[in-house]
Parts: sequence; C-alpha cells; structure tokens
Amino acid sequence: MRDPDLKALTGLCAKCGTCRTVCTLYPERKAEIAVARGKVALIEAAMSGEDGDAAAVQEALTDCLLCGRCERACPNQVLVEEIVMKGRADLAEEVGIPAWKRVLFGKVMASPAATEIARKAAAAGQRLLPGKIPTASGLHYRFPDGLGGEGRTIPKLPAKGFIESLGKGEAATGEVMLFVGCVFDHVFPEVGRAAYETVKASGKSVAVFRDAACCGLPAMVSGDRRSATGCAEANVRRLRAAEPGAIVFPCGSCLLMFRRNVFSLIPKGTPAYDDAVSVADRAVDYASFLLSSGVLDRLPDPPPGEKVGEIGYHDPCHLSGTLGKGPEAREVLSRAVGPAFAEMAGADLCCGYGGTFNVRDYPTSARIGGNKVAVAARAGTKVISTACSGCVLQMRDMAARTDPSVRVVHIAELVHQALFRK
Amino acid sequence: MHADALSALGNLFGDRLRTSLETRICYSFDATRKTFLPDAVVYPINAEEVRQTVLLANRYRFPVVPRGAGSGFSGGSLPVRGGVVLSTERMDRIVTVDTENLYAVVEPGVVTGTLKEEARKKGLFYPPDPASLKFSTVGGNIAECSGGMSAVKYGVTRDYVLGLEAVLGTGELLRTGVATAKGVVGYDLTRMLVGSEGTLGIVTRATLRLMPLPETAATLLAFFPENRKSADAVNAIVAARVTPSAMELMDRTAIDCVQALMPVPLPEGTGSALLLEVDGPEAQVAREADLLTEVCRAHGAIEVRRASDAQGRDELWKLRRSISPALLRVAPVKLNEDIVVPRSRLADMFAFLSDLSARRNVRIVNFGHAGDGNIHVNIMISGTDADETRRAEEAVAEVFRKTVEMGGTISGEHGVGISKAPFLEMEVGPLGVAVMKRLKACFDPNGILNPGKIFLDEAAVRG
Ligand SMILES: Cc1cc2nc3c(=O)[nH]c(=O)nc-3n(C[C@H](O)[C@H](O)[C@H](O)COP(=O)(O)OP(=O)(O)OC[C@H]3O[C@@H](n4cnc5c(N)ncnc54)[C@H](O)[C@@H]3O)c2cc1C
Repeated sequence: MRDPDLKALTGLCAKCGTCRTVCTLYPERKAEIAVARGKVALIEAAMSGEDGDAAAVQEALTDCLLCGRCERACPNQVLVEEIVMKGRADLAEEVGIPAWKRVLFGKVMASPAATEIARKAAAAGQRLLPGKIPTASGLHYRFPDGLGGEGRTIPKLPAKGFIESLGKGEAATGEVMLFVGCVFDHVFPEVGRAAYETVKASGKSVAVFRDAACCGLPAMVSGDRRSATGCAEANVRRLRAAEPGAIVFPCGSCLLMFRRNVFSLIPKGTPAYDDAVSVADRAVDYASFLLSSGVLDRLPDPPPGEKVGEIGYHDPCHLSGTLGKGPEAREVLSRAVGPAFAEMAGADLCCGYGGTFNVRDYPTSARIGGNKVAVAARAGTKVISTACSGCVLQMRDMAARTDPSVRVVHIAELVHQALFRK
Repeated sequence: MHADALSALGNLFGDRLRTSLETRICYSFDATRKTFLPDAVVYPINAEEVRQTVLLANRYRFPVVPRGAGSGFSGGSLPVRGGVVLSTERMDRIVTVDTENLYAVVEPGVVTGTLKEEARKKGLFYPPDPASLKFSTVGGNIAECSGGMSAVKYGVTRDYVLGLEAVLGTGELLRTGVATAKGVVGYDLTRMLVGSEGTLGIVTRATLRLMPLPETAATLLAFFPENRKSADAVNAIVAARVTPSAMELMDRTAIDCVQALMPVPLPEGTGSALLLEVDGPEAQVAREADLLTEVCRAHGAIEVRRASDAQGRDELWKLRRSISPALLRVAPVKLNEDIVVPRSRLADMFAFLSDLSARRNVRIVNFGHAGDGNIHVNIMISGTDADETRRAEEAVAEVFRKTVEMGGTISGEHGVGISKAPFLEMEVGPLGVAVMKRLKACFDPNGILNPGKIFLDEAAVRG
C-alpha cells in the first residue's frame, strides 16, 4: 500500500460501526470483513507493514459493491469508495491484474473499433446457446452452467450497435453531446437510440460522441489504474475538444466517472486535469437535461395505456445516491407517463450488480438483485425503469431468471414512447 | 493457540471458524481504535455452539472474547490475550415480542435499533437508546449496561433486563431472572451479569421489558453562552418538576467539531448548548416544551429552537449524534472518559475541566448526558508527542480523582474494559476489588472469559 492519500483517508474512520447498518453486502456476509470498517482496518494493517497476503486483502477489497451507502451514512464522511478503489489499485500493482481483464480494459474497451468487433464475435457465438427466454424486455439466453454464473442469462446481442446504426455524418456535430456508453451502444442500442431521439426532440442539435473509449469505471473498480486513466484522459481530451454545451449521460455510472472519479485518476496541474474540470462542468444526467430543455412541455396529455402505479423507478446507487440525482428522474417519469408512475417498493435498494462484483460472485449478486426485483414485483410494479447501464443489465437478468413478465427499461425508452406515440 | 484446539473448533464450526489474518484483523479493533489480534474468529448460531466453544476453551485453555458490534469505548471486545473472538453477529433473531405481557425475547446479536423498531411497530417501546443504537447489539448493551439519551427519564439497560440465558466460564448454561413484571427468588444473578463486560458469562438470550410507546415527543435545542449557564438550566428544569426524556449538553468545542461536517447556524455568542426532549401525551408535551423554553430563557439561553415533527427532531438530534465520531477531526487520538457527578455538581465539574485544560495544556472536548450528570470528557491528542500524551494521562487521573471526590463514578456507561482498569480500585476500594475477583472465580474459575478486562493487566492496558 503506497498511495500517500490512503493514510489520511483511513485515519478518519472512528471504527464506530455505522457502516454495518447500511452495507448492501453485510446482510449476506454477516462478517466484519464485508463492511467499510473492516476494509479500512485491513488497509491500515497493510500500511503498517502487517505481513498479510496481498492477494487475500485484494480479495477482501473486491468483495464490495461500491454502492456508496456507507460513505453517505458515515458520520465522519470517510471517503470509502475512494479508499477501496485506491486500495485495489495499489494491490493490483502487487498481485497483478488477471490477464483477461488487462486485455478487456486496456485493449478492447479503450478502443471503439475493438469493442465493436468483440460484440460481433460475441453475438455470433451467442446464437449457439441452447436456452432461450423471451422476456418483456427482449430475448435472453441462458448462460451455460459450469462457467461460474449458474442460472445467469444474457441479453441477445444486436447485430448492429447504436452508433453503427447512425448514418454517415449523422449526429457528427451539435450543440449538445450525447455520451451513450458501451452498454447502451453495444448491448441495448434501443436505449442509445431512445436517448438520442428524445434529447434531439429538445430542438437542439445533438452530436453523438463517437470515438468514445469506455468511461473507464470498470477498469477503475478493478484496480486497473493504468487502463482507467488511459480511458479517462482520452475521453476528456476529445470531449473538451468537441466544445459541446451540455454533455448528456444516459448512464449514471459513466456520469459518476466524469463528475467525480476522474479527479482521483488525473493529477492536478496537468493539462488533462483542466480538460476534466471543463468536462465535469458540462456533464449532466439524462433526466436533468430533459427537465432543463423544456422537451417535456411538448408531451401530450398524460397517456392512457399503462395502469396506475405500474411503472416504478429504481435508484441507481451512483446516480441517486452519490450524485443526488433521484428526484429528477421521478419528475421526468411523472410527466412522461403520468399516474402510471408510482414510487416503487424498495426503490433505493442496490440491484447487486457492482460491475465486476457480478462477475466475481454471481450467486450473491443474483440474490441481492433477485430480491430487489421480487420486492418491487410483489408490490405491483410491472415495469422497472432506471438510468444506469449496470442496473439495466442486472435487473433484466434478474427478471429473466425470476419473472420474465417484469419489464426493465431505461427512462429514455418511456419518454420516447410518450413523445412519439402515434 | 494449540493446533488441536483449532481443529476441534473447525469440527464444530466448519467455515464459520475463520483463522485468516484478514479476518482476524477485522476483529482486532473496537471503537477505542486499539488493536489486538485474536487467533481465530467464530460465528456461532446458537447457545449450544457457544457452550461447546467454552468447553473446548477449558480443555485447551484459550481465551474466549464475546463481541457484538465492536462499538465499545473501553476495549471490552478486544482480545488482549489472543484466543477466540466469539462474534454474536449471526445470533440476531428477535424470538418473540409479547404484546400482552410486555416483554421481548432476543438473541444477543440483535441490533438495539432493530429491536426498538420491531417494538414500535407493535405500539411498544424499548427505551434504552445509546447513541450507537443503530449498530450496537443488545448483548453488548447488556454487557456494558449501556445508557443513552433517555436514561434521565427511563433509566439504563439494566432497568429493562428481566432475565438472561448465559454460558458461564465453565461451559454451563445458566438461566436467570423472570419473564414477569417482578421476581425476587434468590440472589439477583441477572443484575450480576448486566455490566459484567463478558467476563462472567456469554449472554445467549435475553428477556427484555417493554413499555407502551409514548404518544408523541418534542425536541428543543437551546444555545447558552457558557457551560455554567447550561448546567444551571439543567438543575432548574429538574427543580421545575419536569422530567425530560433527554437532556444533552454540548460545549463549544463539541459543537465546533460537528460544524466542520454539517454546519448548523449558531446564534452569536454560543458557548454551550442543551438538547432537550419531552415525550408523552400530546397536551402534556406541548405544555412541558413551553415550560422548558421558559426555564432556558430565564437561565440565559440566547436562543431556543423547537421541533415536533420527526424530520425536524431528527435534524436537531443530528448535531448531538455526530459529535462522537466527528471528534477525530479535532485530533487523531482521544482519551475518552465518561464520568458521572451528582447533577448539582455539574457546573463545578465544568469549571474544573476548563481549568484543567489550561493548566495541563491539553485540548478537552466535553459533551454528554447532563440530566444524569454524565459527562463525556474527551482529551484530544496527536498520539505522536510523548510529552502531550503524558500530560493527557495525568489529566485523566486528575479528572477521575476529582470525580470520586465529588461523590461520582469514573464510568457511567462505557465500562471499565482495559481503559479504566488502572482506576478500578480508586473507586471501589481494595475490598471491592477482592470481592469482585472472588465472584469472577466462581463464574469462570479458569479465567476463560474475556481475560485482561476490568482488573488491571499491565500488558493489556498498554496495547
Ligand atoms: C458513536 C458511538 C456512540 C456511543 N454512544 C453510547 C452511548 O450513548 N451510551 C453508551 O452507553 N455507550 C455508547 N457507546 C459505546 C458502545 O456502543 C456501547 O458500549 C455498546 O453497548 C457496545 O455494544 P457492542 O455490541 O458494540 O459490543 P462490543 O463492543 O462488541 O462489546 C462490548 C462488551 O460486551 C461484551 N459482549 C458483547 N456481546 C456479549 C454477549 N453476548 N455476552 C456477554 N458479553 C458480551 C464484550 O465482550 C465487551 O466486553 C457508543 C459507541 C459509539 C461508537
């Protein structure tokens, strides 16, 4: 553990135990090692030269959803997410990053072209999978058992990504920039499109950010600082050069990356830092942009169709929690779908995705997510809407596993429906 | 620890025995932030497993240290002589809430706040409310006889423990007390176990008294120019024959450290604040809140704020609840004491403390349960300056001497643990210590349970 900031950051932890009361993972683990206080103790021990096993400490730090609840509840405002990510990055230097992750984050996700090729290959391979599950939000395949994700389903990958589907020169420049993000480009292009068309309905010209590298969050949470910094620097440089007004993010996690996390990757005083500040100033979540753009004023009367209270909103941890953007999405929903929107049971429960957490410990991730969807469905929610790519991926999988009639959508899809309803 | 002992524990607990360094580190601390590594951690799920653990401990002679949430302020759950930390985290069931006879039966790992909430849902009230109620456990509360904000009206944990089930140091399972409103058969073993800091028995089940939930409550935050004025107001309130359900005092240093985290607008000239709460039937609450406001004004309050709805009350409370952890922003090490003096001597004690702070040149932050005469005296130091540490330790000794001299006690609720062990005899005398040691030998002849606590153990105190 060499990060000079870690000592000061961990030194503020009073070991009081508040983190135990809010931790998403604690009820699953019922062990101190799961919660912030335990992780801080481990990092402190490592810093004081306690001869631990770096791989085991890394394992403990990885066992965290980074949902940020502890950080928000902490009476001392200890920056737990930053501590955990810094700890992971430091340890990654000692124990290394698994080769598959290095290639994925450093090579594939850093390059839009490589990501596209990878998706095509995966889409082709996917057709060989035997189990098909039609769900309310599209076809899912059953993931082959024995590969560590027992019961997992994966969405049918599209032949074309959203950006690929744009015409040549279409949405190349504009007053507003849309940062679609990998998932809404390659996995759920219909979300990318809905976001694009609804933002465009504001009357402003919209550019879709094309040479986007991945936002870098997956690499960052895996402790792969180098790849994360690479993505972040490339993105802020290109984004700033494009001189957009607002930069709109349909995905809360991508937004968090640009609003907060880049600043712990890019050092102060460098040119990239200035780029990052300029980008952060313009970065807005999808719902806030819609509200400020006036596009919702053009909606027809509250639509019929969906029944009262059937549509709920799931709070993405990063967006509603860390960035405090929960009310905006709700406002958008009330205006787009009227009384069909109602506060959902367990709206602010974490979906259990946690990025790489879901890969590392699928059974736990699925228990947390399955419970989330079940709580909502039991209370009568038929459509779960949200605004983060990880949450959409996770909850669509959960619905496919437990109740395929539950539809999981991005709020942009509902807004799109409302705006362009025939 | 003996390899045979570990393998026997392995047979008993399977993967609920953990011996990795990482897990041991996670059970090496409590809220004192001192650390002692255990040799192993076990997570029992029932009394029988606790009993088997203690039997093995007698056979192989290893210490067993019960641990709830590890939020203790005197080092109670620290494994100062290694051995096994027995975590009650997975014994967290509320067995019954009896709405006819007004009691609850719970396992020791139940979080106090969870019990209060379950009771509330049934219109009932479990009054003890340590500031740590959201995370500390019933087992820990019983072992420390924790108090809380409402102690001034409702008493402390002891007053709500009707009966216990506990594994003694011998491995025998003892049942004490009753599940009825009263009971006087034989010695009061229940009270013997309450406050015994895990040194006499490991509580595996508790029967706790409940009350009807008060109808409503109101909270007041009164700002005073100095501690003496707040202390006078406290005594005046008692004299006015109102029993608030909370009377918390914060001095300027305490308010300032919370301010850094969550600014609360303060009236000009604030040097001290009182947080007051009254609960009961609606009309009475309104009348008493008016009366308290008047009394505070009459005793020099600069401003009195009042809230009756849950959210507003929560806001006012936040100031008080955030102090303890926020102290770390003042200095990295706190010597945290919780003395109690007769209420009428509060003002004298505050005067003594401010003089002491100047005389010994150490920073002291004071807050606490003024209604009980219970002051949390926090001496804040860097921990890296040997001379400062020495001055601070001398200051602590002076505070304790003064407290006993005033007819007070050196710990109102945090317990002796390791931090107050050197001062035990100063308060209870040599015969007191001797009788306690005889009792310890009777409950735990081989010294298995939480060794190194309460009684002086030089190695443990140093940490
Ligand atoms: C922010 C903060 C605020 C606090 N406010 C208050 C307050 O207002 N009032 C107050 O009184 N205290 C307060 N405390 C101190 C602490 O929370 C209490 O002492 C609490 O009762 C400890 O409970 P725990 O579950 O954390 O026990 P632990 O710290 O784990 O253990 C405490 C003691 O209990 C023993 N023990 C635990 N479980 C059992 C069991 N099942 N059987 C036998 N022994 C057992 C342990 O061996 C140890 O000696 C506060 C602490 C913090 C961090």
